[in-house]
Amino acid sequence: MEDALLAEMRALRDRVIGITDTALASRDGLIIRADTADIHPDTLAALAAASLGLAQRMAVEVGKGTLRAAVTRSSGGYVAVYAVGSGALLVVVADVGLDSVRLDREARATVESLEALLARKPSGRTGTQAGRQAAAG
Amino acid sequence: MPPGPLGQVLLDCAAKGTSGLLRVTGEPGGVIDLADGGITAISTPGAPDPEAILLRSGRVQEAGWSAAFAAAASDGRMGSELVRRELIGAGELEALLRLALADALFALAAGQVDDCQLEQSAADSLLPLQPAAEPGWLLAEAARRIQVLAALPNPIAHDRDRVASVQGAWTPRVGPGDGRAEILALANGRRSARDIAFVLGRGVYAVTLQLARMCDGGLLVIGSSRAAAARPPGPDPASARASADDAASRGGDDASRGGDDAARPPLPRRRRGSTGQGQGGSRSPAARSPAATEPGSTQPRSTQPRSAQPRSAQPGSAQPGSRQPGSRQPAQRQPEKISVLRILRPGSAANRDPGKQTP
Repeated sequence: MEDALLAEMRALRDRVIGITDTALASRDGLIIRADTADIHPDTLAALAAASLGLAQRMAVEVGKGTLRAAVTRSSGGYVAVYAVGSGALLVVVADVGLDSVRLDREARATVESLEALLARKPSGRTGTQAGRQAAAG
Repeated sequence: MPPGPLGQVLLDCAAKGTSGLLRVTGEPGGVIDLADGGITAISTPGAPDPEAILLRSGRVQEAGWSAAFAAAASDGRMGSELVRRELIGAGELEALLRLALADALFALAAGQVDDCQLEQSAADSLLPLQPAAEPGWLLAEAARRIQVLAALPNPIAHDRDRVASVQGAWTPRVGPGDGRAEILALANGRRSARDIAFVLGRGVYAVTLQLARMCDGGLLVIGSSRAAAARPPGPDPASARASADDAASRGGDDASRGGDDAARPPLPRRRRGSTGQGQGGSRSPAARSPAATEPGSTQPRSTQPRSAQPRSAQPGSAQPGSRQPGSRQPAQRQPEKISVLRILRPGSAANRDPGKQTP
């Protein structure tokens, strides 16, 4: 049995061309699940939490409505951070060929699914335990 | 090979001398810039554009590109500015733009085309090809490429099949300079030919051909494939809740807690004093867990014996396998450092009697 959170994140990577890595973290910056290859998930989670907090504060300050995503664009790709409920966040890393329109559309649905999964997730079950179960299964 | 729906539209536009933007929806989809019926630029997630090819391949350095962009991008002279600054030759740039167009149209034609809409807006591509390429030639080239790939003994889907390097694939015959070393380093079971093309700044077709040859040579295997692009019917939030309930019912002790425990937010919390290298912990590099690696991935797995892995007392926080060798265990936590605020607060215990600082 594959972990439901990881399955959602991998499905997002399958649906949107250009996504290379995803991670789910708490607003504290602690990793919950990571589907990453060459990126250190702990560092990614901590930086994403900080950038989301800054972006939300910025959105309030300039009065441009509710923050939809905190996006970092560089010459080689993108990092987008989405709030998942009030306690978690989703980080999406993509290459420069990202279909950003499709990401906007698909990420919203994924965030809702992740939020629902987290809301009823048993508290004692953690990332590595789930990983072991997935590997054993 | 007869032109598909996209090819027919392009040929019609060429016959009428149409100018504007042709928006192609589908997988991967994209936008085609048309000028008097010719194609000047294509933007698609399916293939690297000229900017990605120039920068990712290292043909043009980022500093030079940024300077040329600042000087000329706003008035559409990017190509001539790159040549003027001698970052690339005019002939080489034209050849590169033409090849990028051929690669992009191949990606569009080989994918799924749902619809084509012509918009009468001005093209705003950064590096348009001038003079424009004839759609007939580009369509014929795309068809040839599709046929070549389909005729391979072991075809690879350039946008779906993710390749992984085979253990021991690095042999003296595979050395720097032939392009295979870079591909082997990138083939981690998570990247398709399209993904590798974007990393290297090369054409998708060329990379796909090379991957197919390397698979035939026993250097690579197809680790996994992308699922269909359409969103699966579930889980929507409602079904996700149901599946979470199922998971809870299979979760043994976790599920038996029920009540308040089940309603409690399961997210890990950062504890005071737990931030930083070597601090006790709530860090969990889940990507190092087997669940975070794709089938066929070459990522190393933890060899730490489970019996030696300490358990965290905090729900949903540190993972047993996530600790670095030598990191502290909860039972051996160092005394919590007194915060600056606590020291500065008048009347605090630390202020009254610093000698009595207790853990």
